[in-house]
Amino acid sequence: MEQIKSAPVIAIEHVTKSYGEEESLAVDDVSFSIQKNEVFGLLGPNGAGKTTTISMLCGLFNPTHGTVLINGEDLRTNLAVIKHDLGVVPQDIALYPTLTGRENLEFYGTMYGVEKAELKKRINEWLEKLEMTRSADKRVESYSGGMKRRINLIAGILHNPKILFLDEPTVGVDVQSRKAIMQHLSELNASGMTIIYTSHHLEEAEKFCSDVAIIDHGKIIVRGNPSALIKEHEGCSNLEDVFLKITNTAMRD
Amino acid sequence: MKKEMLLLVRDRIGLGILFVMPMVLIFVMTLIQDAAFRTLNEQGIPIVFVNADQDTLGNRIEQGLRNTEMCSFHNEIDGEPATAENVGEAVKEGKFLIGIIIPEGATEAVENNVMGLVTESLGMESDSTNEGGTAEIKLIIDPVASKSFVTSMTSQLREFISTMTTRIMFETFNEQIADLIPDGTEVQKGDYNNEQVISYSQQYASELTGEVAPNAVQHNVPAWTIFSMFFIVIPLVSSVLKEKQEGSVFRFHTIPASYLLQVSAKLIVYVIVCMIQFVLMLSIGLVFLPMLGLPVLNLGNSYLAIGIVALACSFAATGYGILVGTLAATQQQGAVLGSLSILVFSAIGGIWVPAYIMPEIMRTISELSPLHWALDGFYALFLRGEGIVEVFPHVMKLFVFFIACVGLTSVVNRYRRN
Repeated sequence: MEQIKSAPVIAIEHVTKSYGEEESLAVDDVSFSIQKNEVFGLLGPNGAGKTTTISMLCGLFNPTHGTVLINGEDLRTNLAVIKHDLGVVPQDIALYPTLTGRENLEFYGTMYGVEKAELKKRINEWLEKLEMTRSADKRVESYSGGMKRRINLIAGILHNPKILFLDEPTVGVDVQSRKAIMQHLSELNASGMTIIYTSHHLEEAEKFCSDVAIIDHGKIIVRGNPSALIKEHEGCSNLEDVFLKITNTAMRD
Repeated sequence: MKKEMLLLVRDRIGLGILFVMPMVLIFVMTLIQDAAFRTLNEQGIPIVFVNADQDTLGNRIEQGLRNTEMCSFHNEIDGEPATAENVGEAVKEGKFLIGIIIPEGATEAVENNVMGLVTESLGMESDSTNEGGTAEIKLIIDPVASKSFVTSMTSQLREFISTMTTRIMFETFNEQIADLIPDGTEVQKGDYNNEQVISYSQQYASELTGEVAPNAVQHNVPAWTIFSMFFIVIPLVSSVLKEKQEGSVFRFHTIPASYLLQVSAKLIVYVIVCMIQFVLMLSIGLVFLPMLGLPVLNLGNSYLAIGIVALACSFAATGYGILVGTLAATQQQGAVLGSLSILVFSAIGGIWVPAYIMPEIMRTISELSPLHWALDGFYALFLRGEGIVEVFPHVMKLFVFFIACVGLTSVVNRYRRN
């Protein structure tokens, strides 16, 4: 029986992004869609166009050409409304080092418009889940890399977004912290959250993502379920093999 | 706002820059300028005097200079009598600021001129000894002295010497007339006093009831307060750039709150900081500088107007800081752009040198400086004793500048998004 797909939560059509000169295209005529409740991995070597694509999807800047639709709404014209549904966990630790973890979370939760009592409850819950309660009232500057990543993640999900963008959420994180982060992201996805995720950890992406796209030189080269992609590419036993086969082994800047 | 407050309170170096440094600046600048002002007034300008005339004119000028507080009188150089030959060298070496030489026969030249005039006027035969002559009084000036100072001093000296010369001329004339009365009638010799005919009075064009004498406190406190308030640009730029570099800006752009709401917390906190700075600086002029023997800062007639100008100045400084922080890509760029632009704004705005002594073109340019608008506003209140109505144009300019800065910041952000 043919599966009936609902309207995609994200649809990008012929999106191009150039910085300055037309020749230097960071994203080159990219089109794809993401279904609700999907964990979509956008993978690619350094400078491939992952962060630029994610940035356009979360409304940080407009595409030079093409359209981005979130829940059927044009991002360019309805950004203010769409933003309520988006959560972002940037690659950089976007926290104030001289504030405590809790103060950072209170600030970002307030900026997202979460009501004070509800915000306090959610902060405590998430701190507990990610084992940060004891350190919550210490300054972020005193945290380890893993602790900062955990607070960085909580700051992006406090307002219960429908779509969560994760840009390298586990980079520089120890195994324990990574396991905890991925476990809770899986739980969020199970609760109905659509996740768009970029990473260099291909093993992690293989396990976590329901669908991946490999981008290189600003173009989507391949798209599909990780297991299916491994099967499709002869001689590949995991996603990393597929990745190297497609993007070549030459090192990137 | 809580976040901005916490960030500020926990940045001790930033707090030092915001509060301690400006207070130190006001102390130092006011004390230096007051000390310089007092040195000249209390000790007088060092003058070396050569009286080669040794007669009425030379003696009277010497007496006058000895008695005036305007100068410290010297007629010796390193223990040796000052002469027409060694005065130039002593001034050149910086031992004195001005040298005055009254030439030999100066009194005689004045008297002969008057006698010659009298005999000529009465059609009498001129005595060969009454032939007029000239005497050149020399002023030798240290080239290190500033031109405006030299002009001021030499004009006062010239006026003083001219008064002495006129007095001698009058007395000589008086004596000549008395001697020429044929019937030997006793003639009362009058006493010359030009002050009886024309007198001068001066007052400051100010609404203030008490006398507001221009002094180092009255001029420096508002000027350096404005300068310091605008220097809030440096920590503000640093704060904006930190958010950019630490990735917070990335999050801000994805938050469903308007840009104005996002920057408003920062604006409000820094405006409050500016106002606290303002109160602290004024307290220096009102409390601390008088403890060191300086005059008390006179705040004029309208505290409300002072508050409004200070608020407008705070908004202008904060808006400018947000703009510079947005335009700059790195901390270094922000620091250089912020500090240099404030220095330029302050220089053309009359903080360092009063705008009224600038060349015409610079006076026109100074009208473009927000520091000038603020300074004009405070001078109107503190020195002229004016009120809200008079400072309204300055306040409006400052608020328009603030709106322009925030508007431009928004445009720059929108442009970058595209």
